[in-house]
Amino acid sequence: MAESALELALPEENGGFGWNSSARAPGLAAVLIEIGRADAATAYLSALQFTTILASVTENAAPVTPFISRLYSADRPVNPALILPGPSSLAEQTPLFFGRSINVRLVRDDNGGVLVGKNIRPAGCGAIADHFCVICADSAGKPLVAFVPADAQSVQRGNILKETGLNACTNADVTFNHARLPREAILEGSDAVERIYLWLNLLLGAVSIGAAMNFFEIVYGWANTRTIKGGSIMKENPLCASVLADVAEEIAIARFLTDDLARLIAMMAGPHGTDLRTVYTMSQIVGYRVQQGTLRAVNRGLELMGSAGYAREWHAEKHWRDIKTIQSYLCGVGAEVPVKIDTARFFFDCKEI
Amino acid sequence: MKSIDDFSRPEEYISPLDKHFRSAVRAWVDKEVMPHRRQYDEDWKEHTLIEPAFDTLMSNKGLGIQKALFPADLGGWGLGQSDYAFTIACTLAEEVGRADTAMAVAFMVTYWPLTTILVEPHVNRRLAAEFAPMFCNSDKAVFAALAMTEPQGGADIENMELLGGKTIRTTARLEGNEWIINGHKLWPTNTAGVGQLFGVPCTTRLGSTDPNDFALIFVPANVKGVTQGGPYEKAGMAADKNGDLWFEDVRVPAWYRAHGPGKDAQVFKEIIPWGLVGSMGFLVGAMMNLYEVLYEFASTRTYGNRPLKENDAIAGLIGRIAGDIEVCRILAYEGARIGDRRNRPYGHPLYSEEVLAKLRNLKDFVCDRAVENFGRAMDVLGVYGPDREYDIEKHWRDIKIIQLWMGGKQLCQMEAARYFYNCKTL
Repeated sequence: MAESALELALPEENGGFGWNSSARAPGLAAVLIEIGRADAATAYLSALQFTTILASVTENAAPVTPFISRLYSADRPVNPALILPGPSSLAEQTPLFFGRSINVRLVRDDNGGVLVGKNIRPAGCGAIADHFCVICADSAGKPLVAFVPADAQSVQRGNILKETGLNACTNADVTFNHARLPREAILEGSDAVERIYLWLNLLLGAVSIGAAMNFFEIVYGWANTRTIKGGSIMKENPLCASVLADVAEEIAIARFLTDDLARLIAMMAGPHGTDLRTVYTMSQIVGYRVQQGTLRAVNRGLELMGSAGYAREWHAEKHWRDIKTIQSYLCGVGAEVPVKIDTARFFFDCKEI
Repeated sequence: MKSIDDFSRPEEYISPLDKHFRSAVRAWVDKEVMPHRRQYDEDWKEHTLIEPAFDTLMSNKGLGIQKALFPADLGGWGLGQSDYAFTIACTLAEEVGRADTAMAVAFMVTYWPLTTILVEPHVNRRLAAEFAPMFCNSDKAVFAALAMTEPQGGADIENMELLGGKTIRTTARLEGNEWIINGHKLWPTNTAGVGQLFGVPCTTRLGSTDPNDFALIFVPANVKGVTQGGPYEKAGMAADKNGDLWFEDVRVPAWYRAHGPGKDAQVFKEIIPWGLVGSMGFLVGAMMNLYEVLYEFASTRTYGNRPLKENDAIAGLIGRIAGDIEVCRILAYEGARIGDRRNRPYGHPLYSEEVLAKLRNLKDFVCDRAVENFGRAMDVLGVYGPDREYDIEKHWRDIKIIQLWMGGKQLCQMEAARYFYNCKTL
């Protein structure tokens, strides 16, 4: 499933379906909703693949395009891991991407550069990645994106981590010990980082909506067949019905928001598209809201399923753990605060935050 | 530097024994549980790591805490006769819950059915003497379970006010001087091979709402006809085993019934306050550990190249979490004090609509705060939030079931509405 999804976003000349355009955002989101309904971890992998491809081979063609196309043109699925800005430690002053620490440095040279970073935490998939898509900074502190094959000698993975959900996306820390990069593996400009975030917010939102939709199916079956108060069908009880309404409402709103964000991104491909900073900010707002909403849907539905929702055999708790894991990855650090700061900076012209 | 002990409690309610209990249990937690708890999830089926830890808490090989409720002359500590039984229970729940709420649940549920025969004013001296050796003279942890939930009714059995036990399908029939029990229970804590003694709510007349037809009967696990299924695999709570429990023509002596017609229904209702106060204790303990982890992370990790805790917006968020822990801890001990004032001047009976409504309100509130705060704390940790090594995610998975059990959130809301709004049909 992940393999066929990957082919969607590859350029036609590289054997793909040619959906490597912002205009395809609604279609890609729809695909991930369907995959996420079955398994959020598989959809998460596809979302990372789409994100790395779309950030580098869309209509804003960059020198990195041939490199990325070759990377993904193998005969087997190619799994990326994404390293986003996040927390740093007190001992270090790091370059920042809107307040978030960039923990990997690129030391440039004539051929490209070398990548340096120790015990860096990917947003999932660190243990299984074929390559790392790394948001890093050069010596001037300028953010950029680098693509590093995982089998390079100077790339070392740590122990496998035990994480809450997304079991198929096994994670591990990674150390870049002067990993050499050709110039074509470097995507220049902070715009590229904003593009990665806007695609992530859209596509991971779609993944969580897919998971929440399957959870809806599970709760529907439960509320339709279980009784309370000695015989009433659960869904016919007004209090239970109001909880069920919350589940449906959160999923419906999340879907509306995601559809709108997809259209906004799609319009970027046209002549009168919205500017990148606006779309980036909107994607942060929507991304945060969608993750919160889908998780709330599951949390509320679990209230009605009681212990059954907590048991693995019902599959409900899996969606709960998977969505929560996506939400925490996407936060990066500081819960919703970085998104709030991005939003305030955009709408209120804040100068110092 | 502040610590978990800086969170407030109503000091005038605290047991004189609190300091000693707390320090003994905390020392056990730090030595026996904290170094191993991250491996407990993989130990959910075998309890290879978990069982030895329980032995050192519960049996005579360690603290011997499983005998706490039994009268002193039967080898126990006599806490069943204490004016501070609820408050001490809250303390124990908090200290063990700080490390692992599943362990806290498993060991405290052992007390749950026993409260009906060991706590004043409902002591059944004959049954106390019968079961005291099992718990007081053992070098192994001995668990009891309260087998309530049934396949057809979910939490209906705990909704005694409305349903009066009419949905119970587990039957007890008196034949000579023996009860014959048949039925199927789901999900009791300390089943799946763990429990050695079960408190079993039964009906002596199917479909009856007459309190006289409700029977609470004690059934040792080794009696013929008792079958325990394997443990369920769950989102968390690995140290607490749950499974199916079948009773097929199980025979126990007639005097294994807790108290008899009418009074069994009364003591069964009285277990609810214990469960609600214990639930709050588990959650407050877990949140105190959340504070410890969050303090360290927010002090050493940065946003904008400054410690997280020094960013005004993040400080606002983690400050609210600390505030919630403070409020929840006070509420938990207020709930315990309601229990400890049972049948005292200016107090309430152990069970009444008022007590039930108020304790369910408190439990519902504390559950909501805990579920939300663990979720937010995971997000503060961001990409490290889902990592088991940071301990928050384990608590996040574990504590969700506390919100769901004992009839869940919606039963809490119904009980509150019935009492505060005089609802007649809910």
